[in-house]
Amino acid sequence: MAAAIETKSLTKTYKLRNGKVNVVDKLDLYVEEGEIFGFLGPNGAGKTTTIKMLLGIIYPTSGEAKVLGKEAGDINTHRIISYLPEKPYYYEYMTGMEILKFYGSLFGINDPAKFQSLLERVNLAGDAGKPISAYSKGMQQRIGLAQSLLNDPRLLFLDEPTGGLDPIAHIEIRDLILQFREEGKTVFISSHALSDVERICDRVAIINKGVIARQGKLDELLRGGRIEVIADQVPADFPAKLKDLRVTSSYNNARLILDIDEEEDVNGVLDSLRSAKAHIVSVIPRRKKLEDLFLETVKNVSEKRTTTMSGAAQ
Amino acid sequence: MKQIWSIAATTLGEAIRRRVLLVILLVGVVFIAIAPGLGVLSARSETTVLRSMLLGIIQMTSAVIAVVLTVYMIPNEIERRTIYTILSKPVQRWQFLLGKYFGAVLSLAVMMALMTGVLCIAYWIQQGYNAQGLQDLLKAPVMFFVQMCLLAAIGLFFSTFVSPLVNFFLSGGLYLLGSTFSLLFQDMLANPNAPGVAKMIATVVNVIVPNFAYYNIQNPIINPQVVIQDEFQNYVKIMAYGVAYIGALLVAGILIFDRREV
Ligand SMILES: Nc1ncnc2c1ncn2[C@@H]1O[C@H](COP(=O)(O)OP(=O)(O)OP(=O)(O)O)[C@@H](O)[C@H]1O
Ligand SMILES: [Mg+2]
Repeated sequence: MAAAIETKSLTKTYKLRNGKVNVVDKLDLYVEEGEIFGFLGPNGAGKTTTIKMLLGIIYPTSGEAKVLGKEAGDINTHRIISYLPEKPYYYEYMTGMEILKFYGSLFGINDPAKFQSLLERVNLAGDAGKPISAYSKGMQQRIGLAQSLLNDPRLLFLDEPTGGLDPIAHIEIRDLILQFREEGKTVFISSHALSDVERICDRVAIINKGVIARQGKLDELLRGGRIEVIADQVPADFPAKLKDLRVTSSYNNARLILDIDEEEDVNGVLDSLRSAKAHIVSVIPRRKKLEDLFLETVKNVSEKRTTTMSGAAQ
Repeated sequence: MKQIWSIAATTLGEAIRRRVLLVILLVGVVFIAIAPGLGVLSARSETTVLRSMLLGIIQMTSAVIAVVLTVYMIPNEIERRTIYTILSKPVQRWQFLLGKYFGAVLSLAVMMALMTGVLCIAYWIQQGYNAQGLQDLLKAPVMFFVQMCLLAAIGLFFSTFVSPLVNFFLSGGLYLLGSTFSLLFQDMLANPNAPGVAKMIATVVNVIVPNFAYYNIQNPIINPQVVIQDEFQNYVKIMAYGVAYIGALLVAGILIFDRREV
């Protein structure tokens, strides 16, 4: 599979009054064609900045960015990609249909049947004649999605496509994105909606303060979570022996339920259970939640940062 | 080419819905409509004064519209983030900027045509039907239009890198300077007592600042006895001057806008 997006040491520095900030810092991203890629990070992490660089809207301070094999910002690549900006705005006087006509004309597309079918696809056929100023947030987001599908893109950049939307709209947009995957499109989503991302993304990168903290297949990143062990006929004094391990336990009626944080502790626990003549009922690896991974990653990085910073201050 | 046209058409569509512009336009039109009414009171010989006043109103209104229209052009696109979606399509920045410029020119054409239409009606009511008179009268708005195209190019050029407020004073200031400087300059050159350094600086300014005074042709209309030799040739010359200036400003604007972060 070819790379849809590849960056090497991509860096964006902004000059502020009190010095310079690397808003995006030596970013190495790799997105394969056909995958749905989640780009996560707290507010101000540098997600939008990265997307803008990948689109050639702003220019990197250093490093490289390739999109579909070409330098980012290449005008021919723009024919086969599309972009839904975060909180998009359109010329407010236009109606939904006029928006599609206008953006279509930028591709040289003038196909009323296509506009109509796109409006139907995003559930706006009934509101095609209303001006955008009369659209709700969700409708604006949906006309944005319709606009981003005009050129039947191979690669879509969606910056917070569900930002500010109600749960029903979340589901609708999630379903649309899943359809994109079936059509073989590559989707690059920046989002704060972790449960959506967990459901639809193949791979994710977590970025914090401009630095990639994690990147990989979602399955692999979420593996190695807690492991649940359930045992019967456990002697009453057994739970006390576990206090040195990172486990949470609940003991009731000779049944013990353990939540073990570290995989390497599992064997030891099982051995001592057996030697205590307990009966092991089940050992189940529990997948981490993306939320756990996110918090853990972001917290880790911030802690490291503060330590190095206070270290430098001394 | 298609892209430039689409962006220009959209810019026109927005401009004719901008409330500020409509208010300015309305004020202009109302003045043009009522000015002849005031003229009825005065003597017949003052119709030339009236004409010059009407043309002055058109010119002033158009200049304000040209500046207000263009100083917000690029900053607004960035602030409202409408530019991001456009630049993520197969649209080059120079195409975007040209589209914006032609949109401004179209908007000016529409608004100035409206004012000129009202002017013609006012003139007709005042003077009765007079084909030759109308034709002479229309020369001025046509020249004003070229002047406003030049002013719009200045406004758009600055809007690629300065804020609307600063731009308002820059473009407005250049317009006033360019409308008066060449006369002052000629006086200065004729004056043997002017210091050499001042003359040199003035010469540089005279070259850089576009000469808006070229297009102020109310006077020959007001004083028809002053015959400009080769009138037609003169018009062609100042139009070429305007087009060359506009071209240079657009190229400079594109060079700046191409490098600019949006
Ligand atoms: N033009 C600019 N000049 C200076 N700093 C900027 C500029 N644009 C963005 N930044 C800073 O860069 C950082 C990253 O911004 P960015 O918009 O990329 O974050 P984000 O990850 O998209 O955040 P969010 O989730 O809130 O959308 C922020 O701290 C922001 O203040
Ligand atoms: Mg963002």
